[in-house]
Amino acid sequence: MWITASYADTAEQPPIIVGANIGNVPWEFQDTDGTFIGFEIDLVTEIGKRLNREVDIINVPFNGLFAAVQSGRIHMAISSIAITDKRLQSVSFTQPYYDSDLSLTAITGSSIKSLDDLRGQIIAVDTGSTGDMWATENEQKYGFAEIRRYEGLAPAMLDVVIGRVKGYVSDIPALLYYTKDKPNLSVMERIPTGGRYSMMMGKNNPLITEINNVISTLKTEGFINMLHAEWFGAPADENTSTVKIVDMPKKNDGIELNFVDTFLNMDVFLQTYPLLIEGLFITVQLGLLSIITGLILGLFLALVRLYAAKPFRFMAKAYIDLFRSIPLLVLLIIIFYALPFVGLSLSPFSAAAVSLCIVSGAYTAEIFRAGIEAVPKGQFEASQALGLSYRYMMGDIILPQAIKIVIPPLTNNCINVIKDTALASVVAMPDLLKQATQAQAISANPTPLIAAAIIYLMFLLPLVLWVSRIEVKIKGGKR
Amino acid sequence: MTALIKLENINKHYGTFQALHNINLEINEGEVVCVIGPSGSGKSTMIRCINLLEQYDDEGKITVDNVLVQKDKNLKNVRAEVGMVFQNFNLFPHLTILKNLMLAPIRTKNISKKHAEIAAFKLLEKVGIKEQANKYPDQLSGGQQQRVAIARALAMEPKVLLFDEPTSALDPEMVGEVLDVIKTLAKSGVTMIVVTHEMGFAKQVADRVIFMDSGQIIEQGSPSEIFDNPQEQRTQNFLKAVLNH
Repeated sequence: MWITASYADTAEQPPIIVGANIGNVPWEFQDTDGTFIGFEIDLVTEIGKRLNREVDIINVPFNGLFAAVQSGRIHMAISSIAITDKRLQSVSFTQPYYDSDLSLTAITGSSIKSLDDLRGQIIAVDTGSTGDMWATENEQKYGFAEIRRYEGLAPAMLDVVIGRVKGYVSDIPALLYYTKDKPNLSVMERIPTGGRYSMMMGKNNPLITEINNVISTLKTEGFINMLHAEWFGAPADENTSTVKIVDMPKKNDGIELNFVDTFLNMDVFLQTYPLLIEGLFITVQLGLLSIITGLILGLFLALVRLYAAKPFRFMAKAYIDLFRSIPLLVLLIIIFYALPFVGLSLSPFSAAAVSLCIVSGAYTAEIFRAGIEAVPKGQFEASQALGLSYRYMMGDIILPQAIKIVIPPLTNNCINVIKDTALASVVAMPDLLKQATQAQAISANPTPLIAAAIIYLMFLLPLVLWVSRIEVKIKGGKR
Repeated sequence: MTALIKLENINKHYGTFQALHNINLEINEGEVVCVIGPSGSGKSTMIRCINLLEQYDDEGKITVDNVLVQKDKNLKNVRAEVGMVFQNFNLFPHLTILKNLMLAPIRTKNISKKHAEIAAFKLLEKVGIKEQANKYPDQLSGGQQQRVAIARALAMEPKVLLFDEPTSALDPEMVGEVLDVIKTLAKSGVTMIVVTHEMGFAKQVADRVIFMDSGQIIEQGSPSEIFDNPQEQRTQNFLKAVLNH
């Protein structure tokens, strides 16, 4: 009996999985009890209803949406994604349903009234967004001092409020909605770009025609314009794609991308290669600086912890325990976003270097302590019995032996520090990983990420292998 | 004649355990003193108090050449005058034999590298391992390492040498070569205190033998007094046990 019933039930079709960058107001965000709401959420929910299919919405960061549709991990992506020629080479889009422009947001009453006031100033954009593309193209024209790339509206706006960046260029509907109840922020200028939002799907996904037809129907019924009125306070203009049915954007070519074209695309690689090298340079700089300062700090802490007077020993131990327990990401966010409120505003590079040094110092201190404690007690006694001062005992006898013991764990720590530099993306620092995600979003192709992974491997793998060899050597002989 | 080393009323507690009981002892210049007694009797603890590797209890007092041994700025100077040879050699494994000998004189006595090297070679010749000068400690046998350790202590030209069971960690066939070196030193007039289980050696080289048990000095005297005619029951029992097996 139930077999027949389930057979007849069309809702048995698997749900449509939709990826959305939750937090992108007013398109998709969470209300106070955590339910996903927004213009595009309402739209896909309605599309699901019309197709008699369930819709599962999962939270995917904007940069991850491209790889997610290409790999089939999600069927469809929404997040006020604009149709661009470059993206069309790798993905498909339904007909658009919203005509948008970019805009500039700045602090109300500040010296920034228009784009022309941004000469020599730092501006914020979302990594790999249309705002990012526009800012990169117009960097010379407007003379921006720097473009800082953030992972979404909230951190970018925070830095505008702090004053570390002077303006934020992003899609106008989101900014209008966000600033609506924040009188200290204003949309200063509309930047006409003719962007059109659409739903993004994998190339040649058979579902796209069905969904596109439903969008046509919803336009005819006035449903989408009703959503517009609901979310933006007024219906859209008659001539916009919110009202008018338009064609699906044509694919640039009929080639279906295979694995190699998707993940190891040579053209994309060559285009984004310079960006990656810039990122590598910053990663290496940040890594080395943090490692060296971390080593000095760690050695100092270890000596204080082992040999200083009791209160200092306690302080060193408290420091070490605290910063080994706190997640680096949290520390980084506190240093970058919270310290400005007490008047200490660090650049992304400095904030990242300070956080990495603080944490690496704590780990290094424990490594050194273990190393010093592993030197036999007799070595200390022999040094003391010979009348060596503390300085010479440590410098000539104990530390040279301790360092041999700690080289493998120290190198492992160095490898971790270099990998952790990637966390600096959250404070808009253009390290290797950040550059790769940006390149990935612009080209809508994950090749730059693969290239970045290969670059990381190329300089970390030899270190890893070296450590293993040293470890074997140390175990083998005493010296 | 004043004593070179004076221990007055020395007690030592580890928590509630008392390792040394009211030790009073004077060592004269040029004297060779051997300390014998069962394991755990406080022999090592006592000589380790002399260069403050162990901190003795507050009420006691130790002087080396009339200088009080205590935790102060002068301590390293006192230690420089008190050479010590350990049971486990404690050579510096990351330095060559030569550097093991040269390091402390260069660092504490402000002498040139060249001088230190010449002196080091002389000492290595004295202990019979000159040809090993550029090797590392782990390339040497135990006996050779202990001879290096003796040379290292001598390099500081100390006023007194402390030996803490210098042959206990050695293979039996190597004990002789180390004892020979110590005997030669003893004959040359170096003041020394030797904690040892080698009764034959003690009998042969000591000017005075001290028998300790349970953290106390039970009996002391010339080798013949102690070995041939011990007065105390505990000394007699100990000697019976170690000599008749």
